[in-house]
Amino acid sequence: MTRKILKPSILVASVLFLFALQSYLGSEDKLHKVWAVKDCKIVTLAGAPIEKGAVVSRNGLIEAVGANISIPLDAEVLDGTKLSLYPGLIDSLGQSLLKLPEEKFDPLKMYSGEFTDRDKGVMPELKAFDYVSLGKSIIEKYHKSGITGAQVIPQRGMFTGQASFFSLGNADKNKALLLKDNCLGIGFSPANFMVYPNSLMGVVAYLRQAFTDASYFNLNRERWQKEMRGISRPDYTPLLEILTEYTSGKKPVIFLCNNQNDIRRSLNLAADYKLNYLICDLGSEAWRVIPELKNAKARVLCTVSFKVPSTSIHAQLGKDEKEKAEKEIYPKNPAKLAEAGIPFAFSSLGTDDPKSFMEGVQKAIDAGLPREKALEALTATAVSFFGLERALGTIEPGKIANFVLAEGDLLSKEAKIRYVFADGDKFELKEAKAKEGEKPTVDISGKWDLSLPNGLRIITEFSQEEASFSGKMTTPFGAFDFTGGVISGNEISFEMNVSVGGENLDLYFSAIVEGDTMRGTVVQGTMGSAEFSGKRIPG
Amino acid sequence: MKQKKLAALLIVVFALASVSLCQTKERSLLLKNGNIITISGENIQGGNILIQGKKIAKVGKNLETAAGTDVIDLKGKWVMPGIIDSHSHIAIEGGVNEMGDLITPEVDVKDVINPEDINIFYALTGGVTSIHTMHGSGNPIGGRGIVLKLRWGASAEEMIFEGAPLTIKWALGENPKQTNFSGPGRARYPKTRMGVEASIRKEFEQAKDYRREWDEYNQKVKESKGKKALPLPPKKDYRLEVVADILKGKYWIRCHGYQSEEMLSIMRLCKEYGVKLVCFEHGLEGYRIADELVKFNVADSTFADFWAYKWEAYQTMPQAPALMAKRGVLVALNSDDAERMRHLFIDAAKTVRFGGLSELDALKIITINPAIIMGIDKQVGTIEAGKDADLAVFNRHPLDPYTVCEMTLVDGKVYFDRAKYIEDWKKAEEERKKKEEEAQKPKEKKNGGEV
Repeated sequence: MTRKILKPSILVASVLFLFALQSYLGSEDKLHKVWAVKDCKIVTLAGAPIEKGAVVSRNGLIEAVGANISIPLDAEVLDGTKLSLYPGLIDSLGQSLLKLPEEKFDPLKMYSGEFTDRDKGVMPELKAFDYVSLGKSIIEKYHKSGITGAQVIPQRGMFTGQASFFSLGNADKNKALLLKDNCLGIGFSPANFMVYPNSLMGVVAYLRQAFTDASYFNLNRERWQKEMRGISRPDYTPLLEILTEYTSGKKPVIFLCNNQNDIRRSLNLAADYKLNYLICDLGSEAWRVIPELKNAKARVLCTVSFKVPSTSIHAQLGKDEKEKAEKEIYPKNPAKLAEAGIPFAFSSLGTDDPKSFMEGVQKAIDAGLPREKALEALTATAVSFFGLERALGTIEPGKIANFVLAEGDLLSKEAKIRYVFADGDKFELKEAKAKEGEKPTVDISGKWDLSLPNGLRIITEFSQEEASFSGKMTTPFGAFDFTGGVISGNEISFEMNVSVGGENLDLYFSAIVEGDTMRGTVVQGTMGSAEFSGKRIPG
Repeated sequence: MKQKKLAALLIVVFALASVSLCQTKERSLLLKNGNIITISGENIQGGNILIQGKKIAKVGKNLETAAGTDVIDLKGKWVMPGIIDSHSHIAIEGGVNEMGDLITPEVDVKDVINPEDINIFYALTGGVTSIHTMHGSGNPIGGRGIVLKLRWGASAEEMIFEGAPLTIKWALGENPKQTNFSGPGRARYPKTRMGVEASIRKEFEQAKDYRREWDEYNQKVKESKGKKALPLPPKKDYRLEVVADILKGKYWIRCHGYQSEEMLSIMRLCKEYGVKLVCFEHGLEGYRIADELVKFNVADSTFADFWAYKWEAYQTMPQAPALMAKRGVLVALNSDDAERMRHLFIDAAKTVRFGGLSELDALKIITINPAIIMGIDKQVGTIEAGKDADLAVFNRHPLDPYTVCEMTLVDGKVYFDRAKYIEDWKKAEEERKKKEEEAQKPKEKKNGGEV
């Protein structure tokens, strides 16, 4: 229903912006589905690194890897001299790609006492896939951090919803999808005041009853399906039907644990109800329950924000102690798990974006996690947790062509990511260019009047600081802020995410500035590009 | 500043506690030259307590000790059994009340113990060694509680008091009626005292039906002897399971209530169903029905001089605990609060001051009496050979208004030592100062260079 309402406005926006060309996704790259990267170091993770070799990808899959392979004649060749090739990194559980509608709690319900399952935080029917939006700019953000795979999950409530796993190449989520509804999130989050369960102990009790009910529902249904005659059929309960897929152990649940106590609770629940499960360690406290985790053969998703949970002794002894623990103790969590041999991957939950996620991973490395362990956690371990080890995680023939080409060790601070391949598509990272750019020769600070060919005029205010700038654009569809603009000489470029009628459009602006005028191109991923010109508004 | 010092220190204390927990070697410890308040018998002036591992081995004068026994010289200080708080809400994570429903015995404090709650350590500084931490008083039948030993630094599982009976919290009066609730809230049944009791009765009847269904099913399973196809089992309901177990007497009921009429009424209900009502919580009007409490064998866990905070808590006086105790009621003083918990010995002294209780009886109501109420009196509550070595050492008599708790032992291990604590505090402070000075030095140089 909402689709119908949205479409005209999108159409208007598209027409007005008038785009039909390339963007971050080079169109020439799209035509060539055969690529060969040669003369690079290859960290296959499926054996010793190849010091100098080539990787061939065809139609999105790796065709050949090796030191002495012949390059196919139909391949576009990329010279990888001085570069190292790694499997694309994976964010095992995140939310950055998810745009959930705002959930509003009607306070009038407090009087009627009629609460829905959603009010309780019970929404296993919520599918991440339905709410993922893969804009070009967001994909580029992942690529800049070397990430080509991400699993997305809703995080709110008790039964938070079902996850989806994407390969971050194509902006069309139908094409990018790897796994749909493959795990269920379970959070230890009590509901609002007066809504059952509004205490943590209530949450635990609720989960127990729900797991039991699901098994009973399944038993009841199977009996009826087998006999039919002489047996009353059970009521259909959508909620329980979803839960049966998880209580039967077919699919894993992911416990979203705020602290070590939640981890213990999860291990108990998992043992009692024989669940297939993963622990997502939101509180970075897995190091405190290592014997229990080891005993349970648990798999952990480490987060990297390293905030000390309020329940911890380190959080109850004043600000100084808390900050000290955040800096010195909690970042050691992944290193300690590695040392104890507990399998773990990394989750971006708790960080704002891919950049801060990878900065968090860096913190873990600084705190003693060996780089090769971090790399393993971001690749091979991540895919093995979700049954994707035959598709991703290493550089081997037959696997999806997701890899990263960087100068230097990918997980070192000095590393510069040059290219990313996702599903066999080549992405060149512009940022690297801008970094080497000339010193700015212009100052664009102030208001500008930008005009597009169709008569659309946009008032834009730039604020420049050395070679970078941010700004605000006032359009007929609303005002939009942007940051991260780059100036090199008299060339400027910036990108912006515009939300029109609930849909997101990524726009890329680039222009040459001459005094009080500028002339350039604006590009929108799938819709094309348009010329524009701008004049400085005096004063 | 103060906080900083405390922080550094407590981390050390916590770490030490965690480390020493791992030591399993049974050791001997002699507390010598103390004034021992045994509770179970006469006080012993200049007496010794020999601890073997976690237990008290011998109590008396001039005890012989084997070589290698650690010795703590009490130098005439007072030592009493570790204080026991039968009504507390500390170390609970994520809410003390499950307010979302009326009857919630399916929730269990055991699931949400936070062993790192700093209030555990603070309780130790007031000589408290065992607590019953429980669900709040929001619901007629609330959640299940848990008895903990304050083994600071241990995990939740390791803190649970072995062998303590299971408990369930009930509540009567204004709280389950939600009289004092502000803001939006649904007009939840019940709104009268009659309704509170009726809701319990209703649940009992449901639980009886539930148990019957399962009994019938189990009978059929038995009869089929694996030959016939089994009927579908009844649906498992954790709430009714617990209520059915309450009916079986598996749970010790701890019932929050203030007014004598509702207390009498609930005693009648419990008698009718044959359930185990062990203690009224707060029970401020208990002195009015002391004989009935004795007759029904139900205890009263109350406050020393805390009242008039709501209308149902008006009709009492600081003499009440003593009046009840003298009449033969099993009385305990509870904290209900992390702060009050640290000076329960002062509360006990008030029963001497206001109610004229003997010193021994006053100390009983914070030691052996709560132990009996919690069903752990065989292990703790007095200083006797064979009991757990849970002890509190005071610089003066524990009922002296100027007394200070100097040391607290749980299972024969020192978990709090004020002298060492202060020493560590000073050391941490010195270290911090040194660090600060060092951090400032290079800065000054740099600044000097630049100028």
